[in-house]
Amino acid sequence: MMEARGIKLVTYLGAILLAIYILAPLGWIFLSSVLPEGAILSFPPNWFQYELMGANYDYIFTGKVPPSGAVTTATLRTMISQEVRLVPRTILNSSIVAFSVMIINCLIGSLAAYPFARLRFRAKTPIFFFITLSRLIPTVALALPYYLIVQKLNLLDTYGALILIYSVLTLPFTILILTLYFRGLPEEIEEAAQLDGCSPFQILVRIAAPLALPSLIGTGLFAFMLSYSEFLFGLLITQSIKSRTLPVILATVSWNPDVTWGLNSASITIGIIPTLLLVVPVWRYMVKGLVAGGVY
Amino acid sequence: MAARERVIRRITGSITFSAYWMIAPVVLLVAAFTLYPYAYALWSSFRVLSPVLPPAFAGLKNYKAVITSVYFLRAMRTTLILTAASVPVIVALGVLVASLLNRRFFGDFVIKGLVLLPWAIPTAVSGVVMRGFFNSGWGAFNALLYMAGIIHSYIPWLDNPNLAILVVISAQIWTQFPFATVLTLAAMQAIPVELYEAAAIDGAGLLQRFFYVTLPGIRAMLAIVVIFETLMGLTTFDLTYALTGGGPGTATTVISYFTWSESFKMLNFGNGAALAVILALFALVLILGILRFIPKGALIGGEKE
Repeated sequence: MMEARGIKLVTYLGAILLAIYILAPLGWIFLSSVLPEGAILSFPPNWFQYELMGANYDYIFTGKVPPSGAVTTATLRTMISQEVRLVPRTILNSSIVAFSVMIINCLIGSLAAYPFARLRFRAKTPIFFFITLSRLIPTVALALPYYLIVQKLNLLDTYGALILIYSVLTLPFTILILTLYFRGLPEEIEEAAQLDGCSPFQILVRIAAPLALPSLIGTGLFAFMLSYSEFLFGLLITQSIKSRTLPVILATVSWNPDVTWGLNSASITIGIIPTLLLVVPVWRYMVKGLVAGGVY
Repeated sequence: MAARERVIRRITGSITFSAYWMIAPVVLLVAAFTLYPYAYALWSSFRVLSPVLPPAFAGLKNYKAVITSVYFLRAMRTTLILTAASVPVIVALGVLVASLLNRRFFGDFVIKGLVLLPWAIPTAVSGVVMRGFFNSGWGAFNALLYMAGIIHSYIPWLDNPNLAILVVISAQIWTQFPFATVLTLAAMQAIPVELYEAAAIDGAGLLQRFFYVTLPGIRAMLAIVVIFETLMGLTTFDLTYALTGGGPGTATTVISYFTWSESFKMLNFGNGAALAVILALFALVLILGILRFIPKGALIGGEKE
């Protein structure tokens, strides 16, 4: 009894500490997005004496310059960079790219994963490991050749280049995960279909893919998340707002001395919403499936 | 009999054909974007490539220039320190948090969602978040320590070379521990409950159960996590780019960042390529290590035909 209560206490204590550890930086980011700059810069720190405001968000979406109190309290800062107003557009760019990558992953990813899971063919294992492990080579080593390929294809600063590269980067994960899923499906139905003369492609489309649909979507969303978050190639390939991605603009804006920390925080808050929304479905459909049955 | 065999051969033949065309798009795409770039990087690492010099064969000059440069050695040292300091903490934290999440408690699903947050946020963005959090003049970390009465004046976390590397290590841990947790939890949940029950009946306490049941059960996975996180540590780029920009000075310039700036800031493509090859070789050794720890047949089963 004593032991059980002790464990319970430690469990809750651990959970609380963990929550603080994760939320402290993020909570503060949100807080500074709705505080006037004077509050953030105050010393001794005095965050809660000020009124909360949405002026930073207003500026990003409508271009309405924050009231002087919001910007110049405690410092004589008057400059506001237009750059930060591009954030919503980069969210759109990133989402379009990531969504396209997700579709490509679901289509040609499941197409390739099914044979790896079910069919027998020569050189299966080496090909599988070649695909899955190719992704572990550091991307920085690929930066220059990728840049030159993209340049040669005349795709610099386009969605196409990003979609192409992110597909290459995410497909190995998708293949690995989907192969594990397809292997986990009950074989009997597929065998029956095979006896009825269905080709592997027909079995995939009519039986395996519908059965694995939640995982398929979960894995696709994971590819979305990875593409949305990618930084290095975004930095390299995008040259203007035409294709600039969210992580790139957040990183560059944050080095811009004209942009207040409040504006930075507001753009970070807006920018991470899409991936935060995806955390729960990815956990439910992909991670949980992996945890419950896959790798081990 | 002969007819029957012919039919079987025709069916298996068409299945093999299906397999090949179904994997073809992915294989071709990945191969084109792996083999060609590596061949190119390897080739250019032996050449003089720069916007201002005429292209020429350089032999091992690029490698020599890179390896003997004091910046390379410094970046290497920084990378090794970052990796050696962060990986043990990431793994330990991963095991600890996975043990926590492996229990049922009120609100456990909230904590599970929270744990994934640092993982879901783009690493470059986490770098920006941490740059503000550890700001020397108004960062929340200073403010919190001050409010708690632990410090009386703010500490210049990101302006002092020794502290800056400490901040980078902390940020690396924050962004990486969720993944270690997820993988460890996967291994933990695969341990049969009966083993715990048997151990409990035999009178094993909490710690004994951990050391004699849990740990052996997750050992193989831990090996994979250690190698994967080492790889992440050795090749980290986004985080330092956004968090410190390699500074102050070169205090947090890791090898990836050095490779990047050599290629795209100094425009010394030959040196950059040599660095890329060195980096890829490092990674290759680790990848072969990962391969050793994946149980045979665990991923795609046997190969026939």
